Amino acid sequence: MADKSNRPQLIVDGKRLDGRGFNQLRPLKIEASVLKNADGSAYLEWGNNKVLAAVYGPKEAMPKHVQDPAKAIIKCKYSMAPFSSMGEHSRSGPNRRAIEISKVTREAFESVTMLHDYPASEIDIFIEILQSDGGTRAAGITAAAVAMASAGIHMKDLIYAVSFGKVGEDLILDLNMIEDNYSDCDMPTAVSPRNNDLVLLQMDGSLTREQLHNGLQMVLDAGKTISQIQKEALQRVYEGSENGNGV
Amino acid sequence: MPRQLVIPGEMIASEPVRLDNTYVENGKTFAKVLGFYESEKRQVIPLEGIWQPRIGDIVVGIVVNARNAVYEIDLSHFTRSILIGSKFDRQAYKPGDVIEAEVKDIEDRKTLILWRPRTLIGGTILEVKPTKVPRIIGKANTMIEQISKLTRCNISVGNNGIIWLKGANVPLATEAIRKIENEAHLPGLTEKIKHMLEEETQTTSK
Amino acid sequence: MEGFDVVKISYVKELLLKNAREDGRKMMGFRPIKLVTNVIDHAEGSAQVDLGATRVLAAVKLQVEETMEDTPNQGNLMVSSELLPLAHAEFESGPPSPESIELSRVVDRGIRAAETVDLPGLFIEEGKAWTVFIDLYVLNYNGNLFDASMMAAMAALASAKMPKYDSEKKEGIYTERTEPLKINRLAASTTFAKVDKTILLDPNIHEENAASARITIANDGNVVRAMQKGLGGSFSPKEIESLVDVSLSKYDELKRIIEQAAGK
Repeated sequence: MADKSNRPQLIVDGKRLDGRGFNQLRPLKIEASVLKNADGSAYLEWGNNKVLAAVYGPKEAMPKHVQDPAKAIIKCKYSMAPFSSMGEHSRSGPNRRAIEISKVTREAFESVTMLHDYPASEIDIFIEILQSDGGTRAAGITAAAVAMASAGIHMKDLIYAVSFGKVGEDLILDLNMIEDNYSDCDMPTAVSPRNNDLVLLQMDGSLTREQLHNGLQMVLDAGKTISQIQKEALQRVYEGSENGNGV
Repeated sequence: MPRQLVIPGEMIASEPVRLDNTYVENGKTFAKVLGFYESEKRQVIPLEGIWQPRIGDIVVGIVVNARNAVYEIDLSHFTRSILIGSKFDRQAYKPGDVIEAEVKDIEDRKTLILWRPRTLIGGTILEVKPTKVPRIIGKANTMIEQISKLTRCNISVGNNGIIWLKGANVPLATEAIRKIENEAHLPGLTEKIKHMLEEETQTTSK
Repeated sequence: MEGFDVVKISYVKELLLKNAREDGRKMMGFRPIKLVTNVIDHAEGSAQVDLGATRVLAAVKLQVEETMEDTPNQGNLMVSSELLPLAHAEFESGPPSPESIELSRVVDRGIRAAETVDLPGLFIEEGKAWTVFIDLYVLNYNGNLFDASMMAAMAALASAKMPKYDSEKKEGIYTERTEPLKINRLAASTTFAKVDKTILLDPNIHEENAASARITIANDGNVVRAMQKGLGGSFSPKEIESLVDVSLSKYDELKRIIEQAAGK
């Protein structure tokens, strides 16, 4: 979080800097099955974020000593392109932040993937942030979930992620870069929508018990929209099918 | 036939039902894969995903290891596949040979035992989505026989998504198979493929 | 290489005996090319190319840096490439592979030798100059990364806009990008593979696997600007000379595609 002493005014006349209301998502677009070689993939644009996610597998786990004879292991790599941010060129290669995000993302998917259906195998998830504008880990998870589904991986649910935060005493949803930098709290959350279980949760800043409750409610409400966009992305791939149920 | 696209986690029935590609939790049945749910037949047909081996499946693979008439076969799948030769055909296969075989047994979900092997000589290999194999074969083999006839190719289709082809017009056969793979979920496919093949073979013979 | 590749290599060779390629192309034909620019707004210039099923994204960033001791009156160029693990089942994450380093260095040499970027023009003031970073992101690998990367890099450069210079802070103002980056001339590359006795342009992945030798020739329409031979086989001087002719003959077509994509 940046130095708050020179914080720009993030909320003016009840509106956020980009004109959004407090509980309003940025425009979200997802396209499924965009890469030919990957077993599953998705491209996502969320505000100014541009994310590519791909899945390979399940395939034989390598090296052999990492194999679990009873179930699949998931490997996940989140990385940010050196040209992804507005401003200077950054160094490529994983830093501590990317390694942590890769880990919590992997764990989010472990909680819904039916690993026992694929003994001794591995599933690889790659998330490339091509352009970043705050909330990239949530964008990465939301894209990767579509990529996992488009790879035909057995899962209990199609997860989504979004963050909420706090400016002064106001709760805001889906923080962009500048809000992320100067907010009083940021809480990326990933959800399994079938039962609203939280499969990723990180937070720093300050939140009262009540704010936590209200913030999570904002996430779950927005989740209905996000889930719908995820499903429509998958539907579009199989458009023109012979049923009449809105596919 | 009424069918509906379902995603993982989507509820199929509010009571417990034992169906492939679904799971039951708290007395309700959910899809566990991206697929079509056909409510009349009560089945979830996966649209994507790796091969789920069953006894009796035909596979196409490549010999990667041969030792004392025990062959390890690469089927492009995470399981390990073993073909045990008989003493009559000792050293019948060598690494690099392409074979077609049948799944005889599945041990501990990780090892496939194959039998009834057949060597496939020459030709080339095509990898397709295993979920599309039933459409590529067609009802009672109609689709694949049609392609085989019109392109004058020998074709062996493995349930594991590996297809072996050899013959007069492999590029056209490949094109037809790719078209089926991409449009497997669309109606009227057999006619479309027939039309495409006849058109192509007529123009080339002119 | 796995067993399945070996079968496909035999098939590529068998077809070549009949003077045919898997996708019906002529020996000296490119796969279909689709090139679009401005795909990453945060970058100063960007382009994505589809060369058949090979997809490469190139992004250009400009940044104010200290001038180098040996070139105090000009800017710098840095080309890097990433063979992303999402692009192919056999690409792994980790430090750059020799293949990745070769790719970025060959593209770098093509751009430098053709003087595509006006490096002296990037000088700002005593001790300060712009560095042009070009990142090549391989998103889907199906053979011939050299030509795809060169095309994407050229289109990204040709569509790039310079940030304004903040002379007090001595840095770029990235919210103000108006002036186009000055381009002296475009280079285009052509990559050939030799499979048994046959030489073909723009090899796909199976043809690359079947090849004994490979050569990339970059030119600017008039002269050859960079070359790189790869793999364990060889070419005769005669073969190289005739490939240079082919390469030069492809320039206009490639230049038109790059200029069209960059809106020139």
